[in-house]
Amino acid sequence: MVHDRLRLLAVTVENHPGVMSRVSGMIRRRGFNIQTITVGPSTVEGRSRMTLTVDAGYAEVDQVAKQLDRLVEVIAVEDITEAPTYSRELLIARLDRVPPTVEQYGARRVGNNLVELTAETDTIEDFIEFLKPFGIQELARTGPVAMRRTAQQ
Amino acid sequence: MILEALEREGVEIIFGYPGGANLPIYQRLPAHPALKHVLVRHEQGAAHMADGYARATGRAGVCMATSGPGALNLVTGLATAFMDSVPLIAITGQVASRTVGSDAFQESDIIGCTQSVTKHNYLVTHADDIPRIMAEAFHIATTGRPGPVLIDVCKDAQQAEGNWEYEACSALPGYRPAYEPDPAMAKRAMELLAQAKRPVILAGHGVILSHAEQELLDVAERSGTPVGTTLLGVGAFPTRHPLALHMTGFMGTGWNIRAVQNADVLLMVGMRVDDRVTAKLSEWAPRAEHFIHVDIDASEMGKNVRPHLEVVGDAKRSLTLMLPHVQPPPSDRGEWLTQIDAWREEHPLKYAQSNGHLQPQDVLLDMYRRCKDEAIVVADVGQNQIWAALWWNYSKPGLFINSGGAGTMGFALPAAIGAKFGRPDKDVWCVAGEGGFVMTAQELSVAVEHQLDVKIVLLNNFSLGMVRQFQDDFYGGVRSQVDLTQMPDFVKLADAYGLPARRVHKLEEIGPAFDEAQSTKGPFLIDFRIDPEANVYPIVPLGKGLNDFWELPNGA
Repeated sequence: MVHDRLRLLAVTVENHPGVMSRVSGMIRRRGFNIQTITVGPSTVEGRSRMTLTVDAGYAEVDQVAKQLDRLVEVIAVEDITEAPTYSRELLIARLDRVPPTVEQYGARRVGNNLVELTAETDTIEDFIEFLKPFGIQELARTGPVAMRRTAQQ
Repeated sequence: MILEALEREGVEIIFGYPGGANLPIYQRLPAHPALKHVLVRHEQGAAHMADGYARATGRAGVCMATSGPGALNLVTGLATAFMDSVPLIAITGQVASRTVGSDAFQESDIIGCTQSVTKHNYLVTHADDIPRIMAEAFHIATTGRPGPVLIDVCKDAQQAEGNWEYEACSALPGYRPAYEPDPAMAKRAMELLAQAKRPVILAGHGVILSHAEQELLDVAERSGTPVGTTLLGVGAFPTRHPLALHMTGFMGTGWNIRAVQNADVLLMVGMRVDDRVTAKLSEWAPRAEHFIHVDIDASEMGKNVRPHLEVVGDAKRSLTLMLPHVQPPPSDRGEWLTQIDAWREEHPLKYAQSNGHLQPQDVLLDMYRRCKDEAIVVADVGQNQIWAALWWNYSKPGLFINSGGAGTMGFALPAAIGAKFGRPDKDVWCVAGEGGFVMTAQELSVAVEHQLDVKIVLLNNFSLGMVRQFQDDFYGGVRSQVDLTQMPDFVKLADAYGLPARRVHKLEEIGPAFDEAQSTKGPFLIDFRIDPEANVYPIVPLGKGLNDFWELPNGA
């Protein structure tokens, strides 16, 4: 499923101005590449949770988490690539016309010609292929958010 | 409040330069007579002086600059300190917080600019945050793997009166230096070392930073293991010790290279195993069955070489935990050491003696005979740096200072000035080529103003020697833009700055020139006109493996 250079990371960061720039800057200068990045507040005040999909480039794959962990404003990094995870991505699309069968994908019609789908990334990709004949005017995806299926011991 | 925080952290000296955006700090400076301020002549000099001070004393060096160009001029110095893990605090002025982002006069995004060359940086927009941030900055800069921290303080925050409650920082949620290694790993390391037939220890800057030289010596002597050092590790192990392999890497000694390339177990302590150590990575240490890597920075594990055993911790703590598990050398260890001795005989350090020109090695050997193991040598970057690393027999740590990781030309003079401020009890020698020297030569004024006993040894070969050597040896002999015959008369230049100087052409003039330099108080410059064709050997051709090292050509 995931390319073996890709790492899926759950990262807890201080919610400071510029922390996104630190994280993304580090990833760029180490020769890695961000595929997806999502961020939102956590239950702890002043902390945010990020889900990152990062291509390690030429580096050893464990370097991605190790280099992130060096950042002072990164509280915790968990490389969950190999772990059983629950991962979901949200898609919203504006279409010329909404096909009657979108519910088969678990998608919902929202408003006249908008649909939304929350699913695994692979399903989202399939759904986009399915939608193409119906005229995609606009499309927005969040990238995946993910966590381990069971808490780490 | 910034100056009070510096006092609280025990700072005694600041290297800085005032300007529009840090005027409030400078306005208050006279009220803090305990803080000596050295007015540099260019901000890069301030960063390198703070760096030299930090390397010579082990304490954080402090530099200051104004916003915009002032702050930007620090960047090279910060990168130099970052690459070599030197604790530095840089305090820059920033435009008023309300005007940040408006392209105000002398505004630059120094936080963005220095993100990749600092361990951490802070933008301060409120005076209330100053004590906490200053305390955090010192904590981050000086603990774990040390490094530079920049604090960018908006002008209005400098002026405002804030709450002043200073508490030294001892912990941060996202910053946990890994001092204490796993004892099981330390024990396992010694088991692997005991099983080795051909073990080698390599020691890097981390050994010096954590003051682990005695523990290193103990492990080496008790286990009968030879020890080489990296360029920044020079001095971590006494160069003339029977177990010493001297410097490793692509300009390391032949016997070191042979030992590394034949080792079955390599114990690497406090080093990054970078490309200057390994040369072509796929051909490095091909017979090694076990790499054991000790470093305080977990991200160094497997960054360049995947170790079989990781000991993540402070070098001193790690070696201390290893000591009880050290096994005495097996009966056949003599064979390995005899083999290394044979390599030492086969590949001695050589230079082109008596070819009619003044050789840089003659200069350095004379210096070493005078200074023995007491003086601090600050080298610049290039051939002068490698000669100074190889031809002095450093027996103690902290006596050889150079820009190893960043390779910053122009480092030596300001860093030597900083080192002398930090260690007035030590003789400080600045060894530089003429190319690097003129990059920061304006700091001569600082040496003269403070009458610092910094002796400048200019190894003047009228060219960018290292680049010329690379062009001659590896780029088809095409000499391109390396000619530096058009340079100032350095004796006159010194005179213009107000320090005495001598020019030396011949071997027999070396001694008298050094005599004069040593008997003169204050700075002194000697312009040694060395062999323009003198090269660094051994050297590994670019892109090749260590085994392909070149030595001084016959007849040279």
